[in-house]
This record gives sequence, C-alpha cells and structure tokens, in this order.
Amino acid sequence: MRIRAVVSATLASVGILVAGWQSGAHVANTASAVGTTAGTTGSGTTGAGPSGSVGSSAPSSGTSGTTGSSSSTGAAAKADGTFAGDVVQTRFGPVQVQVTVSGGAISDVTALQLTDDGGRSVQISNYAAPLLRAEVLQAQSANVQTISGATVTSDAYLTSLQAALDAAHI
Amino acid sequence: MQPTSELGRPELKAKTFRRMGTVVSLTVPVGPEPWTAAAEATLADATGVVERRFGELDARFSLYRPESEASRLARGELSLREASQEFRDCYADAAEWRLQTEGAFTPERPDGVPDLSGLVKGFAIKEAGALLQSRGLADWCLNAGGDVLVAGSPIVGSRAAWQAGVVDPQDRTTLIAAYPLGGSTGGSTGGSTGPRALATSGSAERGDHIWTRGAGVSEFRQVSVAAADILTADVLATAIVAGGVRMLNRATSGWDVEVLAIRNDGGILATPGFRA
Amino acid sequence: MNTPTQTALQPAARRAPAAGSPFKGQYRKRLFKADLLTVIAWASVAGAVALWLADGGVAGFSSVAGAFTAMGIVAGLAGMDLVLLMLLLAARLPVIDGAVGHDRALEFHRKLGKPSLYLLLAHGVLIAIGYGLAEGLDPISESVALWVKVPDMWLAFVSMALFIAVVVTSLVAVRRRFPYEFWYAVHLLTYAAVLTSLPHQFSVGGLFAEGTWQRWYWLAVCIATGTALLHYRVLEPIVATVRHQLRVSRVVAAGHGVVSIEMTGRHLDELAGSGGRFFIWRFLAPGQWWHPHPFSLSAEPLQFDADGGGRLRITVRNLGKGSASLARLKPGTRVAVEGPYGLFSTAARSRKHVVMIGAGIGITPIRALLESTPFAPGDATVILRGHSRSGLYLGDEILELCQRRGATLFHLTGRRPRGVQTWQPETEARSGYRLASYAPNLADADVYVCGPADWARNVLDDARRAGVREEQLHYERFDW
Repeated sequence: MRIRAVVSATLASVGILVAGWQSGAHVANTASAVGTTAGTTGSGTTGAGPSGSVGSSAPSSGTSGTTGSSSSTGAAAKADGTFAGDVVQTRFGPVQVQVTVSGGAISDVTALQLTDDGGRSVQISNYAAPLLRAEVLQAQSANVQTISGATVTSDAYLTSLQAALDAAHI
Repeated sequence: MQPTSELGRPELKAKTFRRMGTVVSLTVPVGPEPWTAAAEATLADATGVVERRFGELDARFSLYRPESEASRLARGELSLREASQEFRDCYADAAEWRLQTEGAFTPERPDGVPDLSGLVKGFAIKEAGALLQSRGLADWCLNAGGDVLVAGSPIVGSRAAWQAGVVDPQDRTTLIAAYPLGGSTGGSTGGSTGPRALATSGSAERGDHIWTRGAGVSEFRQVSVAAADILTADVLATAIVAGGVRMLNRATSGWDVEVLAIRNDGGILATPGFRA
Repeated sequence: MNTPTQTALQPAARRAPAAGSPFKGQYRKRLFKADLLTVIAWASVAGAVALWLADGGVAGFSSVAGAFTAMGIVAGLAGMDLVLLMLLLAARLPVIDGAVGHDRALEFHRKLGKPSLYLLLAHGVLIAIGYGLAEGLDPISESVALWVKVPDMWLAFVSMALFIAVVVTSLVAVRRRFPYEFWYAVHLLTYAAVLTSLPHQFSVGGLFAEGTWQRWYWLAVCIATGTALLHYRVLEPIVATVRHQLRVSRVVAAGHGVVSIEMTGRHLDELAGSGGRFFIWRFLAPGQWWHPHPFSLSAEPLQFDADGGGRLRITVRNLGKGSASLARLKPGTRVAVEGPYGLFSTAARSRKHVVMIGAGIGITPIRALLESTPFAPGDATVILRGHSRSGLYLGDEILELCQRRGATLFHLTGRRPRGVQTWQPETEARSGYRLASYAPNLADADVYVCGPADWARNVLDDARRAGVREEQLHYERFDW
C-alpha cells in the first residue's frame, strides 16, 4: 500500500473515531442525567414504604414520596442521592444499574432496561430484573381475595393469612 | 387495575377442607342478591366435588399414605409398568416437564423413587377447576396450599380481576406483592383474560419435594409464577427453586409467564408483570 | 530454436501518443482513485465503530462484563464491515475494477477473508462471555441460551458456520484439493452467510434500534452492497447477454489441447478495445451453463456490418473439468457474456514503453493487448514462452502483428532448468540473460505478464530487480 493511502486512511479513521467518541460521550452524559431524575423519584417511594392501594401502577407519583424523602433528607448526609451505575450489555439490550444512597447507606439498587423503546428487543424483555420491594405490585391483606405462598402444611395453614381470609368468609 | 376499589370490597363465601397434607379452599363471590340457602348448597356441592377429586388423587399419589399407589411403588411392591393408567399418564407428564425444564423439575427423588407430589397438587387443582367449569360455575377461586387457580371475577358480573397476594417468605404474616388473576382486561366482549393461575414454591417449608440440582442449596427462598394454567405455574415455580437463575431465565423466555423470585438474601427478581 | 526472433521495425499502424504524457496523467488519476478507495474502505470500518461510539457504546467499558460485550460488538461491527467490503471487492464494480483491477481487488478480497472470520469468531466468543457475565452464566450456557431463546440467534449461528465453511474452503491449500466447481458452489454460500447474519444484527441487543444512527448506516450499507451485487453481477450480465446475442459459430484446434472458440453476435463494436481484459463466458448448453469461464478475447472483434454484427474469438486450454468439455461445444450454442473486467489493458499503462510477456495459454491476452494498446514503433517488446514452438499459441498471428506495429518479438522455448528459479528456458538462463536483456528500456516500461503463477512470479522478480516499480507491473493470474 502506498504511503499516501496509509497516511490518509489512518488520519480519516482516527478523525471519524474521535468524532464518534465525542458525540458518544455526549449521549452517555444525557443518559446518566435521565437516570438520575428517574432514580430520585424512586428513592422517594422507598422512603414512603409500601403504600396501600393494590392498583396503583405509578409508584412515582410525587405525593407518596414526599413525606418519606423529606424526613430522610433532613437526616441524610451530603452523599445522599441517586447514582447511575454501569451500563451492562445483555442480549436484551443495555441494562443500567441505579443506586440510591440515603443516610450514607445504599437503600435501593434498581436495574433499568434501556431498550424498551427500540428494536425488537422489547419482545424478549420479559426478563426477571432485580427489583426493590417497593417496586413490585404492592398488596395488603385487606385488598386481596386469595394468597399464594410456598406450599403450606395443614398446620402452617392455621396461622396463615389464607386461613384468616377463609375464616372471614366462612 | 382499579375496579376493585371502585366497586367496593367484594363479598365472598369460602369453604375449606383438608387434603394432600394441606388445606384447600374454594371461594366464590356473593352476587347482588343476598346469600341464600340455595347458594350455600351450590357452594357446598361444588366443594364436595372438588374434595372428592382431591381425595381420589391423594389416595393414589400421596407418599404420606402407606396404602397409596405411590407408596407401594416406592416400596417396590409395584413397578411403574403395573401402575394405573392415571399414574403412568401423570408420570409421563412429569417426565415431559423434566425434559422441558432440562431436569430442573424431576418426577423422582434422588433415591430414584417416583415422586409426583410436585405435579399432583397442580394436577388436582386443574381437574377440580374443570369440574367446577363443567358445573357451570363462572366465578370462583381455588386455593390449595398456596397454589391458586381462578375463574371469572370476585365481583359477580364485573371484569375485575381476583387479587392474589404473595406471602413474604421472611415474614409470613405480610404480603410482599400482589398479582391480578382472571378478570378481563380487554374491550366490550371477548377481552383478553389475564393469567388464571399463580403458584408459589419455596425452599423453606417442606423443602423435601423440591430437589435442587447437584443437591445444592437453592438460590431462591421462594418463587411465584403466574401462568395461564396451574400446571405450568406450579411446575415452573418448583423448577426455578431447584434450577436457580438459569431456570428462571429459561422459564421467562420459553413460556408466557410472570415470575417473582425472592433470593435467600431477600433480594427480588421479577418480570415486568410483577412490577408496580 | 531458442534464439530470439527479432522482427524488423515497421511503420506504425497506430499513432503513439506524444512522449507518453497521457499515460502519466492516466496513471496519476488511477492512483488517486485507488488511494481514495483505500481511504473509504478503512473509513467505513472506523465509521462503523464511530457510530457505535456515537450511540454511547463507550459506556460499556465501565464493567468487566460490559467490556467483553463492547469488544465483542466492535469485533462484530468491524467483521461485518469487512465482509461487506469483501462482497464489494468481488462485485466487479467498475470503479474498483478501473482503479486497482480485478486481480488486485480479489487479492484484497482474499486478504480480508481470514481477518473478517477471526473478527466474527471473536465477536461470538466475546459476546457469549460478556452476556454470560452479565447474567451469571458461563459462555457455553449463554450460547445455548442465545441459540434456544433469542429470536434470530439460531440464524446467526448458522451464518457463523457458513462463514467458517466458506473461508476454510477458500484457503488455497484446501482449494487445491477440491475441483473449481466445488469451490465455486461453496462460495455462493457467502451470500447465504451474509443474509442469515442480518436478522440478529437488527433484532438482538437493541444495538441497531430505531432512532440510532447505526440503524440507518447499516441499512444503507447493506442495501447499497446488495444493490451493487445485484446490478453488476446479475443485471448487467443479463443485459449484455441479451444485447450481444452470442452464438458459437466454430470451434477450431489451435494447438495441443487448445481450442479457439469463435462466436457471432451483435453490437460487437462495444466489446472492441478491451485488450487483455477478460470476459466471463457461460455456454448455455446442458451441464455447462452454470460454469463461468474467465477468458480474454484472443483477437479484436471482427465487424461485418454497421450495426456491430460480427465475430469474436477466445482461445482456451484444458484447465478445469469445465474447460475440457469446451472442445466439444456445438455450433449454435448460445453464450452468456459479462465483462470486460480487469486492468490487463491500456487503462493500466503508466509509461511510454511496453513489455508484454506471455506463457502458454497466457499468450492469448497478450495477443489482444498487442493488437490494441498504443505504442510507437520500437517502443514495444513481446516475449512468448512455451515448452516448444507448438506451445506458442497464436504465434503466427502475433508475429504478423509485431511486424505490422513495429514491436520486437522473442520466442523462448524449451524446458526450464531444474532447481533454478527462472522464467526462461535452460539455455537463456545459463547464458545469464535477464528480462532487461530482451527489453533494454525495461525500467521505463509497463510490464504485462500473463501465465502460470510460479512462472509469473519469476518474471516479476526479474523485473523488480531491474528497477521496475510496482505500478509498472501488470499481472494477470492464469489459473482461475
């Protein structure tokens, strides 16, 4: 290969790579900024603890979070906050881990699926991701009609929630 | 997901009985009319039907009853070839599930004794459900030792789903999650029905019927699986407790199920359906 | 018999361009095109990686699992880019053909074969490790999981297997053991390999998700490559075949095991001036039609009428199994044609003087080149090499052409000495002759070489030792 071709090919390639890297750094910053916002809401919910309504599909609604977070904010050290973790590539697309620190301790680790909006990876995103207790569909025994638990023996049944439910309806 | 609260607390009636070493309860909603003696009789009759079916299967499959077919097989008095058609069918089903779960679910104890208890409860619930359906019951909830199969709605004539709670394995007096079963989520007619079955398996209680691979300790303390049918839910819950994260990933991508798995350290892995 | 036959200088039949300046300009332009293509090729690899970076790919390196996956993705992107480059290099694009020639293009194509396979293998292994780490599975289990559970992934595994098969069968050592026909059929699998690799790129991992630059880039690149292949390898040949309506008119023996195939057709004026460039011929007879034969014209087309109706001729020798049956072609057989391809022509000239050396059946393109390339009387040297006089195919015609155009002609016949690397017969080699002995202006000449690979290598080495630069050397492979 001629020197001219080698030099210009190298320069062009390096230039293109640097340009890609620069605009990629910008994308990464945006992504972590978005993560922070989403995560802050999550920490609010954590503070509030499991809220009653079974149907509530939006734990991020501000009101439930305010009480919890205001008290924790008062006591919290300055290291508190939400931190976007590493983006890990999986076959389901990139998954980002998000850590919430309050009172100087990790209170919440969440996996965010980042590709729900694009491509066919959504089809296969029925993937069991790590969740916090506050993030699963919440329930109080008052709001359910039946209870699923690991096989209970007859003896265990007597002290079980299902027994209480059954007793209320007999 | 709100109709329950809109329509008020559903009014229910329940009957329970003991079978298969656990308690089975059948719950039906009370309609707009007051609860009559006729309705009570219908429920008692339905419960009787379910109880008989559970009893028959228990008599055949229970390893707790020395005279059962399963016990005679375990003692070597009977070979699998001499077993009843029902036993062999059930064993064949279990073997098929073993294949599909790559061995995470197995119909045999480590000592080689056929043990169908992992399958029989689900099988009994399924059969009982079919009997209830055939008797024209539209709305009911059948709970056998924490494995749940529902039909219709807890409120007569509504689309509301049955709300099933999942026990917190760390504190059995509280719930860790809820999941809506049955009901109707679609448009005016023929709307799609959600999963009708929810089964939970655990390694804490009665751990003897879930054999973990390589005799190791299970990664999961408790696994709940929601599926269209109770057998799939039950088998996969058992298989995931035994097979760990591998089996969990296999289940979520191979079957149309929702999974809530609780690790030994209390951490939760859940599919989007369990997410608030 | 082995002494050089020198022809008298005769008045030129064609006017040579003044002082060779047009060739210098032509050469510079071609050089620029070749360099530009090189830059574009490398830039496309860089571009593929850059777009991945632009979509935030660098974030993957923040964890071990992510780093494996990221490296796997980069390997896959680069590998795919190289595969597409390989396809383009083999697509007979006029822009590539005109810049570096068919042989050089295929040489690059072959050079890219192993690197792209290694990149694709690395892609598979690294991704399996990376995903596996992220999900707590070992790479083997992860691969099985990918195969079983992820839509389109089984196709990707099939694709990988096909790529391995294609590259392995293409490696020269293995290729020698298989007939050309087998190698050709396996090579068609490349298209299957590329097609089966496409679905998973767009569906798995969300890498080319909607709204990303990468999606558009790869869609554009894949569609462009596909279109180019379709146009230049399918459409143009069909158009040329229909337009020229070639039929075999006569098959005549031109020496031992060598036949000249004459064909009649229309618009043959459009095929004139191709010099030593080759065409791909397919004889549409049972058992023959699917086998492509790359041969150059052994004579400029003869025109009968103003519409371009006329006759052309190729001269072939038994090489592969397919070539052997050409001697039995029946007059009237239809012929599909595509081309001309390659740079073994005036388009490759960079100097005023020209030296043309052919051996065996490689003499035939030399004859076509001699007939058409411009030179002043005395500026051209032709060297023909054969085992015996009867092996100097078309020798009489070439002698006549040399006389008419004022070229110096040497016939070199006889066995090559044992244990000595030389392109000459024993006597000449022992006498210490070198290429420059036959062509005194060698250092300032374009050297066209056509013949068996080993022989040609010796000629090229001789020329290089005489100070001939790479750009002056034009070599046509004459196996397949």
